Amino acid sequence: MKRYLYLSLTPESLIASMLPPLEFGKYLAVGTKKRTHGEAIFFQVDPTFKSDHFPFKDVDERCQPHPDGSPKRSLYLSVYRVVEHVPNDALQNLFLVTDDGRVLELQKQKYINTDSSLLHLYQELGPVMPQIASSLDPLTFCRFVTDRKNPISVPRLIFVELVLEELANNPTDGSAENLPYANIDHLRDCLIDLQQNTEKRTKTVLRCFHRDILYRTIKNGFFVGDQKAFNFYPFPSNMELEEKHHNWWRSALTVGF
Amino acid sequence: MSNNLFWIVPIASVLALGFAWYFFKKLMAEDEGTDRMKEIAQHVRTGAMAYLTQQYKVVTIVFAVLTALFALMAFGGYQNGFVWFAFLTGGFFSGLAGFFGMKTATYASARTANAAQKSLNKGLQVAFRSGAVMGLVVVGLALLDIALWFIVLTALIPESDPGHKLVVITTTMLTFGMGASTQALFARVGGGIYTKAADVGADLVGKVEAGIPEDDPRNPATIADNVGDNVGDVAGMGADLYESYAGSVLATAALGAAAFMHQGDLQLKAVLAPMLIAAVGTLLSIVGIFAVRTKENATQKQLLGALGKGVDLSSLLIIILSWVILQVLGIPNVWGLWGSIVVGLLTGWLIGKETEYFTSEAYKPTRGIAASAETGPATVIISGIGTGMFSTAFPVLTIVVGTILAFLTAARFDMTDLSLGLYGIGIAAVGMLSTLGITLATDAYGPIADNAGGNAEMSGLGPEVRKRTDALDSLGNTTAATGKGFAIGSAALTALALLASYIEELKIGIVRIVENTGTFTFPNGLSLESVVDVSKLTLIDFMHNYDVHLMNPKVLMGMFIGSMMAFMFCGLTMNAVGRAAQSMVEEVRRQFREIKGIMEGETEPDYASCVAISTKGAQREMLIPSLLAIAAPILTGLIFGVAGVMGLLTGGLAAGFVLAVFMANAGGSWDNAKKYIESGAHGGKGSEAHKAAVTGDTVGDPFKDTSGPSLNILIKLMSMVSIVMAGLTVAFSLL
Repeated sequence: MKRYLYLSLTPESLIASMLPPLEFGKYLAVGTKKRTHGEAIFFQVDPTFKSDHFPFKDVDERCQPHPDGSPKRSLYLSVYRVVEHVPNDALQNLFLVTDDGRVLELQKQKYINTDSSLLHLYQELGPVMPQIASSLDPLTFCRFVTDRKNPISVPRLIFVELVLEELANNPTDGSAENLPYANIDHLRDCLIDLQQNTEKRTKTVLRCFHRDILYRTIKNGFFVGDQKAFNFYPFPSNMELEEKHHNWWRSALTVGF
Repeated sequence: MSNNLFWIVPIASVLALGFAWYFFKKLMAEDEGTDRMKEIAQHVRTGAMAYLTQQYKVVTIVFAVLTALFALMAFGGYQNGFVWFAFLTGGFFSGLAGFFGMKTATYASARTANAAQKSLNKGLQVAFRSGAVMGLVVVGLALLDIALWFIVLTALIPESDPGHKLVVITTTMLTFGMGASTQALFARVGGGIYTKAADVGADLVGKVEAGIPEDDPRNPATIADNVGDNVGDVAGMGADLYESYAGSVLATAALGAAAFMHQGDLQLKAVLAPMLIAAVGTLLSIVGIFAVRTKENATQKQLLGALGKGVDLSSLLIIILSWVILQVLGIPNVWGLWGSIVVGLLTGWLIGKETEYFTSEAYKPTRGIAASAETGPATVIISGIGTGMFSTAFPVLTIVVGTILAFLTAARFDMTDLSLGLYGIGIAAVGMLSTLGITLATDAYGPIADNAGGNAEMSGLGPEVRKRTDALDSLGNTTAATGKGFAIGSAALTALALLASYIEELKIGIVRIVENTGTFTFPNGLSLESVVDVSKLTLIDFMHNYDVHLMNPKVLMGMFIGSMMAFMFCGLTMNAVGRAAQSMVEEVRRQFREIKGIMEGETEPDYASCVAISTKGAQREMLIPSLLAIAAPILTGLIFGVAGVMGLLTGGLAAGFVLAVFMANAGGSWDNAKKYIESGAHGGKGSEAHKAAVTGDTVGDPFKDTSGPSLNILIKLMSMVSIVMAGLTVAFSLL
């Protein structure tokens, strides 16, 4: 059976599996006994990728079909400091999985910044998970956070930009009607601070993100980058989601509390 | 001439049934779509029929017991010998209307979804005309039952005292309303429990626990949920309005026979007037149904306008033609009675608008509830209850003003002319319900469009089709909310007319006693020894002779019991939903746990077992509240006598009407507050406010779909039971 390599962000880990991406996504979300459910985000990793940091020799030995012939679903190779050891060019498509196991595949594209918003909201997904408000566009933000000269930095960053609607340009009076974030007042304060204090380029909104991403709040897409590379995985427009990925989108809009 | 005019009633009935058949055939000629669409529709059909079969089994037992009781009472001389049979026909025709309506609705969903593939207008036509089958079958069968009984009783009841024969005929006919009421109670309560148990069960496990969207075929309860829309909103609503429709016509005929007693031909005209208005209204409903069409790419407003056009056209025409009917009949005070009809129609329209104002997300009250969600579920519950309670003021005042105006115009602004005034109230109720054929079509359209959306979703139809079925469904939600308001308003007005008819029924009971024993003594000591003396008694005389005044503790106790019944009935039905939903939740969890491959979509869930659980739960839970509603007036009559029953009926009507409005409006506004937030207000979907609003919506579900609508039946059924048991009440009472 063919083996696949995945970089999961829920939690950060490198996994070998005999399941192809769509089945692997379903497996991550709902398990095998169907007693569990939960969102998942993962990248498919180039199967030829090799690194001394990960025990790849285990893959051949342990990623074998079960005695009943069913495929090995997951073999965890590493569960921390994974992102920094998988270079951008080893990351292939990104997969977003809903609570009930519907999977959406996103492909890499060249990033061209067409957004003129003054302010941005970024949800970091790895290696750490704070929510950051910033006056920097995604590329500059990525370079800023991965700049090892800064006292606080990470070697490589995976993040997603979230919608701010009117707050993006008018944090003081802009409407926050359709923003489902907790503590909107604090978010507004952070954005106002960034707008007024041009020296400051980032503000932490949430120290640690503790629930699933509401896919409807994704603004433009997912980003993976460091000082040299920058991958962009654009998120489809609502119309495209409605027309081409209806089942996934309906599932993504279903909110279970 | 008047006798000849009567034939319009059976003709209208046959035409209504004929057009219902025509629309049904047209529907069946439509393509049901792909194999998957057919398969889903078949699941819903099987589930709905399984439910109905089970319900009819329970109802048959109850009917058998009650029929035996009535036969026994007739044998003992406490009741007319026709009552048991009239009771059976009322129940049979009401059940038949529910059966046809639901059968059509379950055939219509896949066909509507398939028609929506062609165009929005085509989808609207299929769904609406399928709803029209329900509307026309209800009015057609009700008119048929009325016409047949009128013909049979006219032939069989001997002409003893001039004027008395029509009183006997109309009061006997009134008793078939109890059959319809009993059937309606089981349909409404059982259907209400079923639909909410399935809905809450499907949502709690499917959406909340497993994160599965609505109408997803992987959810084992999704078919039960779709079946629930049919049994609750089609069969339940149909049986409810069948009863209001027949009850208002029969009560008004009875009031007309009493008001114009000993006035020769005029009495027959007064009896025929409500029947003719209902019959002509039925014909105009057919005209209105043909007027409903829309253009392609219609907006939500245009869709609503298309339905409104049909209803408005029918209403406008009945306003004109009812004047012609009264003029041709030559009833005195034509303008006054016509005024009562117009008042009835306006009252129904206004209550619909008020319901829309308090439950639509376009207006302030519902938006206020949505705003309160920002501070959590507790404030959502508080503001929903507050808004619901406050909202009762408007329909209640509308009914108050409508009733007074109907009374005054019919009685030539003479408050002392009770007979004519009460006849006017009855005529107003008939006016309100005269175009029920089309009004009910718009109500029944809602669940059909809802099921069509579910079918489109489960069959994976294209985005354009889903957009169309979503638009049709959204329109159905609006018509369903206003339909509930209309049902409550008409039930209140009908119950008022029934209350007045109760006195006429007492009179017949006393006549029977005088005929059997030679004398009758009232609680105030007055003894009568001749039938003529009894028939001369006025309504005020009865109130006086039975001590029906507020200082009589029996009246007050009756009022307390009546009010309590409304609340206790709500409590029983709400708890029933909770218990039935719990069984459903456990079953859905079990299936997810034990059946492999459901979530992957590789294995089909066991839909039938969820349908069976909801069916069994509804049947088990509906029995106690239903039997209590029947037993309360009988026991009150046996203990407190006529005064107690009058108290019970007024207390039950006053509390039940207000409570029904409160529950329907609170539930509707919670539902739409959640939808408003989901459309992007107050943080939108997934926000804390949304979470709070979901709690409000879940609480509101049994409010608006189970307990609230069931109260309509309670208030009418208690009146009907009192009417049927009047003979026993006048003969026996403990106090």
